Amino acid sequence: MIFNALAVNEVKSAWWLYVIGAFVTIFIISGSLFFAYKAYKQSKELGMDKENIKKAVISSVSFSILPSIGIFIGVITMSGFLGIALPWIRLSVLGALHYELMAADLAVEGVTAANMTVENFITIAFTMTIAIVWGVLFTLFFFKKYQSKVVDKATKKEGRSFGPLLFQSVFIGLISAYFGDAFSKIFGYKVREIVNGSYTGNETIETTIVPLIVFVISFVSMMGFDYLVTKKKIKWLENFQLSFSMLIGMTSAVLLGLGGLY
Amino acid sequence: MNNTYRELMHKYGRIFGVLGLLVMFLAPTMMWIVTGVSPNWAQLGAGVVALSVIYLPGGLIEMMTYSPLLGTSATYLAFVTGNLINLKVPCVMNATEICGTKIGTQENEVVSTISVAFSSITTVIILSLGILLLIPLRPLLESPVLAPAFTWVISALFGALGYKYFKGNWKLVIAPIVVVIIFSIVMPTFVNGQVIIMILICAIATLVVSKVLFDKKII
Repeated sequence: MIFNALAVNEVKSAWWLYVIGAFVTIFIISGSLFFAYKAYKQSKELGMDKENIKKAVISSVSFSILPSIGIFIGVITMSGFLGIALPWIRLSVLGALHYELMAADLAVEGVTAANMTVENFITIAFTMTIAIVWGVLFTLFFFKKYQSKVVDKATKKEGRSFGPLLFQSVFIGLISAYFGDAFSKIFGYKVREIVNGSYTGNETIETTIVPLIVFVISFVSMMGFDYLVTKKKIKWLENFQLSFSMLIGMTSAVLLGLGGLY
Repeated sequence: MNNTYRELMHKYGRIFGVLGLLVMFLAPTMMWIVTGVSPNWAQLGAGVVALSVIYLPGGLIEMMTYSPLLGTSATYLAFVTGNLINLKVPCVMNATEICGTKIGTQENEVVSTISVAFSSITTVIILSLGILLLIPLRPLLESPVLAPAFTWVISALFGALGYKYFKGNWKLVIAPIVVVIIFSIVMPTFVNGQVIIMILICAIATLVVSKVLFDKKII
């Protein structure tokens, strides 16, 4: 047992796991740059304005910073249970904090950082990796057919077409659901206790108005920035308005927390 | 759509997808090889089955819902790099809105690919920097003062994005909002616990209303 307990910590922080983490990072960057380059070349063939490409890059990078810090906090949250390297790898490719925690919990129920064995750790790593691949498999096998048989029909109709409204509806549905996510927390949401990076099994129902306030403040901030961009013609703000609005919303959560409202 | 380009992107996308799967299995496989300890097959099987009950239909719904919005190469990229609903999809929504491109067009394909590519790069760079700077960053990111900011980052994200999509679509917004408010009052933990199902319910509510308004030529 003692050998196992020591060994599992050695595996969690093994240098080769970090090398794999670095490799995964390079793989994602290379793949992304490859597709971005192909898209850029295509934009030239289409005669697209270079300014639009620049806008797409700047807005996407600035938009992704805050959620990415949120994802990194997920790595820290899991580190007490799984070390640093595995959560880093998992959240770099097709992972999400709640999914990984759920996978760890389902794979080795009742195991904690203190009594985890090498076998437990490897079982968790495989479970996390296997159960999330469905989306990739569906895109590999069915996406092309789905695109030509369904999507093209919805988007290619000539004249007055319902196609664009279909996608608009999905977007609005998506945002409404997240409004609901924030709003419903006034009435109750489940909190699963996490200690040392894993679920303890304790569950409580709590209530909070903070996410709704954050939602509304971000919404109103965006309205303000939109006014500045469209009416006051402050064009440079366009690429940053979403990030700034999020930052204002998130700051309001911090201020509410300082005031004792969580 | 330029079919040669799209065909090529399907080919590259599939290669990238397969390579992505191999890369994902690198860590657990190496653990197995180096330690000589195999996973506990019974636990692994049970865990995968339990998770797949949610994630198999979830994967199919995500592919069907988000691939039309993302376009060809961005779909392959996003499904390997992950964080679809909380990052890639809103990121593309924002970029296409700023660039003014329409779904299904070649221009939109370009913009969404660049958007997902740079979003993915940003995420992995921030994660890597975080790992390198873990010691000085940890107390800051774990501080109870900052915690609420990142706990509610998704509400901030969709609040800000919400304005862009609600603006000009007020007639379509009322129905899904009424639906989520009713659901929230009646079964709040379902609304915030099963967001993927709620997205479907809200999208269907919006679709029904938009179809009625479309047929009556109101929109």
